[in-house]
Amino acid sequence: MEKLVNLTFNPKPPTLLHLDLNSCFATIEQQADPFLRGRPVVVAAYTTPNGCIVAPSIEAKKLGIKVGMRVKEGKLLCRELIVLPPDPNKYRAVHLALRSLLRDYTEKLTPKSIDEFVLDLEGYPAFRRGMMAIATEIKTRIKEEIGDWLSVSVGIAPNRFLAKLASSLQKPDGLVAINKDNYLEIYTAIKLTDLSGIKTNNLARLNSADIYTVPDMFNAAAPALRRAFHSIVGYHWYLRLHGFEIDDVVFGRRSYGNSYAIPDNRSSVEQLSPILMKLVEKMGARVRHAGYRARGVHVGLLYRDGTYWHHGQLQKNYLFDSRDIYKTALVILSSSPYRQPVHTLAVSAFDLIKETDRQLSLLIEVDKKEALVAAVDKINERWGHFVLTPARMLGTKDLVPDRVAFGGIKELEEIILN
Amino acid sequence: MIQPVNLPVSVTTHFDHKKRVTLPVSVLFEGREYSVTKLGFHHTYREGRVLYHVFSVAGLNIFFRLVFNTETLGWLLTEVHDGEVS
Repeated sequence: MEKLVNLTFNPKPPTLLHLDLNSCFATIEQQADPFLRGRPVVVAAYTTPNGCIVAPSIEAKKLGIKVGMRVKEGKLLCRELIVLPPDPNKYRAVHLALRSLLRDYTEKLTPKSIDEFVLDLEGYPAFRRGMMAIATEIKTRIKEEIGDWLSVSVGIAPNRFLAKLASSLQKPDGLVAINKDNYLEIYTAIKLTDLSGIKTNNLARLNSADIYTVPDMFNAAAPALRRAFHSIVGYHWYLRLHGFEIDDVVFGRRSYGNSYAIPDNRSSVEQLSPILMKLVEKMGARVRHAGYRARGVHVGLLYRDGTYWHHGQLQKNYLFDSRDIYKTALVILSSSPYRQPVHTLAVSAFDLIKETDRQLSLLIEVDKKEALVAAVDKINERWGHFVLTPARMLGTKDLVPDRVAFGGIKELEEIILN
Repeated sequence: MIQPVNLPVSVTTHFDHKKRVTLPVSVLFEGREYSVTKLGFHHTYREGRVLYHVFSVAGLNIFFRLVFNTETLGWLLTEVHDGEVS
């Protein structure tokens, strides 16, 4: 591929719009309950003191409360902090409402996560009305049609990366455009680490090439950036900062996984196996629902002392029955040499194949098993998850609750499938 | 104080045929009738084939999370908030 070098900033009018729902889960809770508005609120994975904060409200952020803090740490910063458990159905409903509203402007709509969307208006009638006008209209419509407390930050730019950067520059309720006329002014006002993807290691790479600021990086020649990153990644950065698109890529599904932070002390295989079974049941149903089978099974154990053990195994045949996946996962779990309290148990299925691409079996037993699994799935879909469950799962009713994955786009396939 | 509960509850609703919108207008809770003054959010979810409508509503100094089961046509109160911080 011929490399473009000595580029100026992309003169193309910006057509990409990045939209980010501010403090997503906490703001949605404030939308639902008006008495929470204007107060410091966090949504935490668990409301217990050690529960992890997954979304602080704008008011909580102003007090220094951040994603990843423990509830007890948040309470130290604010005694009146309101701690709520997640309500995934509510967040999915807002996501779907946003998705429906944004589809009025373009069919080129990419949900990047539960609270982030990218719209490409190139070639659509809405573009002729002006990107800023469209962004303002979307902000107003969200308040009128979805929730008056919801606010979004919008970024406009000629590529996805800069549109996301623009959306992060003014929070909450921001609207910023990066274009050929103001890019240098914006680059001068931010640090290298404000660029998504530049953290400690990449910063060190850039510094070693005498690049200390974003304008330095912009002005660096493409070969110099390539040398700094020791790979093609440097050239990708060159294109990104010059406003050219390099991130319009959709990665396919490569695995399915479920994990659970265990609230009590469990270390033996006997104690962990009911949770493993439930995780496998959830994961197996998702794999089958999306029309896949898996050949690989992986189990990961994060222990309470911070150490980690994991192992994956490939099977001869593609697995579809949760019982078979469980058997493999149990063998892996049993092979762990450590018997100490587990903090998080994770299981995943990899090496996927589409149901339609697999080789048909000549064995009648396999046909029977497929019919049985399909019947169980149908019953669970009709009457609710875990109506029919393996006996091994007894006693796990309140464990492994429903969750919305953060940042992951792949989870969103399932929102649509449901 | 925000209190998670799980109680069957009596709810009066109003259906606007022009907007095709149904809204709870009052809730009978612990022997007292509360008028609904604001709808915070309305969403739906399914458990199996059963569709549930969730209305997050507020009255004067009180918040209710009401769940309507479209199969049994019954209302369940799942959260009460008296407007105070616990």
